[in-house]
Amino acid sequence: MKNSIKSIVIASAVALTLSGFAGCTKKPGAANNNAVVGITQEPGIFDPHTVVAAGDEEIIFNVYEGLYKYDSKGDLNPCLATDVAISDDASVYTFTIREGVKFHDGSDLDAADVVYSLKRAAGLLENQDGTALVQELDPIKDVKAVDGGKVEVTLESGNTELLSYFTTGIIPDGYDNCQAAPVGTGPFKFESYNPGQSVILVKNENYWQKGLPYLDKVTFKVCADMDAGLTELAAGSIDIFPYLTTDRANQLDKAKYNILSNGSNMVQIFALNNSVEPLNNLKVRQAINYAVSRKDVISVTMDGAGVELTTAMSPAMGSYYDKSLDGTFAQDIEKAKTLLAEAGYENGFNITCTVPSSYLIHVNTAVELASELKAVGINMEIKQVDWATWLDKVYTNRQYETTVIALTSSYAPYDVLDRYQSTSSGNFINYKNDKVDELMAKIPTITDTKEKTELYHQVLKLLTDDACSVYLQDPTTITAVSTRLEGYNVYPMYVQDMSQVKVTGN
Amino acid sequence: MQGKAGYFVGKLIELLVTLLLVSLLVFAAFSIIPGDTARVMLGPEASEAQVNLLRSQLGLDKPLVARYFSWLFGILTFNPGTSYAYNMNVGELIAQRLPVTVGMSAIAMVMVILISYPLAVLSARKPGRLGDQVCSVIGHVLFAIPPYVASLLLILLASSLFSLVTVGNYVMPSEDFFGYVGCLLLPSFAIALPKIAMSFKFLRSSIIEQRASDYVRTSKSHGLSDLKILVRHVLPNSNVSSITIISIILSDILGGSLIVEQVFNLPGLGRLLLSAISRRDFPLLSGIVFYLAFITVLLYFLSDILAAITDPRIRLK
Amino acid sequence: METVRNNKYRSPEASAFYTAGLILLGIVVVTFIVSLFWTPYSPEATDAASKLLAPCPEHPFGTDNFGRDVLSRIMSASKYTIYISAAGVAIALILGTLAGIPAGYFGGYTDKGIMLLGNSIMCFPGILLALVAVAVFGASVTNVIWALGLVFAPTFARVCRVGTMEIKELDYITHARVMGVKPGRIMAMHIFPNLVPQLLPATVIGLANMTLFESGMSYLGLGVQPPDASFGKMLSDSQAYIRVAPWLVIFPALMLVFYILGLYFISEGLRVNLAKGGKR
Repeated sequence: MKNSIKSIVIASAVALTLSGFAGCTKKPGAANNNAVVGITQEPGIFDPHTVVAAGDEEIIFNVYEGLYKYDSKGDLNPCLATDVAISDDASVYTFTIREGVKFHDGSDLDAADVVYSLKRAAGLLENQDGTALVQELDPIKDVKAVDGGKVEVTLESGNTELLSYFTTGIIPDGYDNCQAAPVGTGPFKFESYNPGQSVILVKNENYWQKGLPYLDKVTFKVCADMDAGLTELAAGSIDIFPYLTTDRANQLDKAKYNILSNGSNMVQIFALNNSVEPLNNLKVRQAINYAVSRKDVISVTMDGAGVELTTAMSPAMGSYYDKSLDGTFAQDIEKAKTLLAEAGYENGFNITCTVPSSYLIHVNTAVELASELKAVGINMEIKQVDWATWLDKVYTNRQYETTVIALTSSYAPYDVLDRYQSTSSGNFINYKNDKVDELMAKIPTITDTKEKTELYHQVLKLLTDDACSVYLQDPTTITAVSTRLEGYNVYPMYVQDMSQVKVTGN
Repeated sequence: MQGKAGYFVGKLIELLVTLLLVSLLVFAAFSIIPGDTARVMLGPEASEAQVNLLRSQLGLDKPLVARYFSWLFGILTFNPGTSYAYNMNVGELIAQRLPVTVGMSAIAMVMVILISYPLAVLSARKPGRLGDQVCSVIGHVLFAIPPYVASLLLILLASSLFSLVTVGNYVMPSEDFFGYVGCLLLPSFAIALPKIAMSFKFLRSSIIEQRASDYVRTSKSHGLSDLKILVRHVLPNSNVSSITIISIILSDILGGSLIVEQVFNLPGLGRLLLSAISRRDFPLLSGIVFYLAFITVLLYFLSDILAAITDPRIRLK
Repeated sequence: METVRNNKYRSPEASAFYTAGLILLGIVVVTFIVSLFWTPYSPEATDAASKLLAPCPEHPFGTDNFGRDVLSRIMSASKYTIYISAAGVAIALILGTLAGIPAGYFGGYTDKGIMLLGNSIMCFPGILLALVAVAVFGASVTNVIWALGLVFAPTFARVCRVGTMEIKELDYITHARVMGVKPGRIMAMHIFPNLVPQLLPATVIGLANMTLFESGMSYLGLGVQPPDASFGKMLSDSQAYIRVAPWLVIFPALMLVFYILGLYFISEGLRVNLAKGGKR
């Protein structure tokens, strides 16, 4: 490792010659079969069982596959499993493993790989301490291979909500080097990672879905922020760029880029810490809900491209979403003032809002909220902190009064609502309602879909009735895609599915 | 000779102590500010188990003091360690970012010299003339325009007037050298502007001062041409002050011009530094700070020596 | 004992500098004073219905992405710009002179020690220092100013040190020393006044850098907190809108340049005066 210091010295002296080893990013050009995707979050984690950051997930979605896989409509389809048999009490899941699937390293997928991967995700390997890496798979008690290429997963108790978590990536038996050298079964193979610059994936020639993928190479190029990405788009050095705002998308040449938009299935929340004064008072929380104009927040932060929310779930969740709650907290300044007076705060109060400074959308939301809350006499002071401090102080240690954040999307309704259980580690708003705890404990034991949906609706209703926080919006994902490509599908989650994309023009 | 050797040794010790002090400061800062690398990398949705696994993989479960000493030991054996967030050797990471920072400094430096020298020589020929005054006024104004403002105004100009210059879109020099130089032109110019003004001002007054000095007058009476006097006597003497200025300018730019990199979306050292801070990446941050300290001290050191070479009157003390 | 203070000479060149400087700085200062009593609109009140309006009779400088009046925001931003830069430079100047003059005067180990510390601080990322200040003392503009002052102090110390080393060789200082005047008195009464011409441009550069440094820190959530603003912060916030709403960039940029240029011209005037007076 002696040469690293030396390389600095040499580089300082003869930078131009030395710069040669600093990796390559290819421009998209004529007659190539490649695509470049702009990303704004620096990737870092490539292990399918520790990955949770959206910025990593959108890349490795192309590298790893689970037993089941979501499509762009949000439907759960069999993938590395061809089907599943769930026992009546939902405590045993038996998967049939697909045949003829090859890993990127050339080995064949078999039951042993699946057993190893699921055990690793659930923390059941011998060298693990029993805590699950993928927290949602913690209920797994045992995984074993059974006859006929099947894998039997036994749970601690019946749970009908678990199938959606079997999307977790399958890796070769005994493989433990996914962070440095990812190996999966997905349509693309991991080629290289240049920190701060790019991640390069290449075509998996042996992909089990014949004919896919179309592209030879996909480059995920890191852009400093949305505006940097926009400049690169305009210069033609990237083909696909997600997470734009309307007015930025409008600056692009319509002949060169198609603009796609879709709900992001995220929930932007003005989080109120339910255990601090005066936010522990229901009337105060309701008053704040009535004081806010969701429409103006969306207009200021997303140029109107967002769906107003009054409950903890995005309408993208389909039937689980409770439409009857729409419009619950339409802006009503007088009502807000009355509620504040009833709570004993007729003269308002002072409060701070701790926002993560690196997320402009949340900072801007806080500015708009502060201006709106002033109308009912609440003085909100904005305190920006950097992301690391936010995670430490606000999310983990819950030392804050209010904050603005977006809760990451998930197709699984249970995942969305899990954090409102009083014991959940994600319950950073310190919400506590015994009724909700009880319902959440009951849901996994229900097999009847209709009854389950009804219970979810009850939870949502309770959350809204308790005004546990202010639900603001589901921001729309706007993606610019070069007209030389087709087949790109926008997912209502942080995923870039490149398997269907093909080059049609230049 | 002994004096010289002693001088070098003294400077070397100074360098080492500075580096040690800086790394201690960084270490102290890290023990104070809140935040956890593993949590930042994994995000809020990660479970405690995932965070803990990553912490132990990265060696974050060891106390900071232990990590500091293992880092220090690594430096002594020429190994700056592995970045937590990028999982890569810190030396390589820094070297990767250098083409931007060094390229920008080099181009800016060339611009400073190419523009400020001729202007200063011309201006100083006839001080007080219209040309001189126009140059001086422009110089004053440029001096007061911060690089950040200049960057924004240049982007505004470039995007509305000429579509020739591409803003952003950094290309590797290995891939397209002219493209690489091209994409660094505008940001370098933004950095160079106030420095051009600064260098112009110092050179001009230095040349005027030298002109008035006795030895130049003597040479003149001996019939030497103006040009010869300028090249042989005036400029070398002015160089002493310009070397100092240039070293200041260089250490300014080499430190990574964060704001300009941010505005032009260039993957330089400044952004790497910011990312190291915001991700609480102790080895990376220490590495960068170490490198910056090294460059700064080295530049002052070199400028002292160069000044001594160009001007025999200054002895190495 | 001749010092540069007792001269009343004024050159026409200096007068031109003074006039230009006072006009430019005057614009900023008047804006600041008026903002204390009156702004056309509330600088904080958002109005989603009238966002990103180009300059028009109702909003002479246009409106921003929140629908806030840019003129009103510039007026209130002048307060933070002046406060942060002036207070920060004052701290840096005081710390810098207190460290730099003794370093240059005594030389030896005093000098070595002080310069080592200075070099270390210079290499230490200012943003990290500000993060530490905020973590220890809490988030406030004042704490950030202290951090900024500390970051900028070594620059002033360097200027003072070099200047002192030259001045202390002058005859009258040697004289004073031989006559038994205490070092503290020599440094305060004789050396410091002679450093003023060199400190002036450094001060102005410091002011300019300070305003920008502060805006750069907003990325980590340090410095002025929204909805308050400074010129530098307004610039960094409006970068995204440079193509669609250039007025968001141009007006704060102009004010920032006026402020720095005004200060710079005044310092040039002072310097020319002192230099000419000194030579006489």
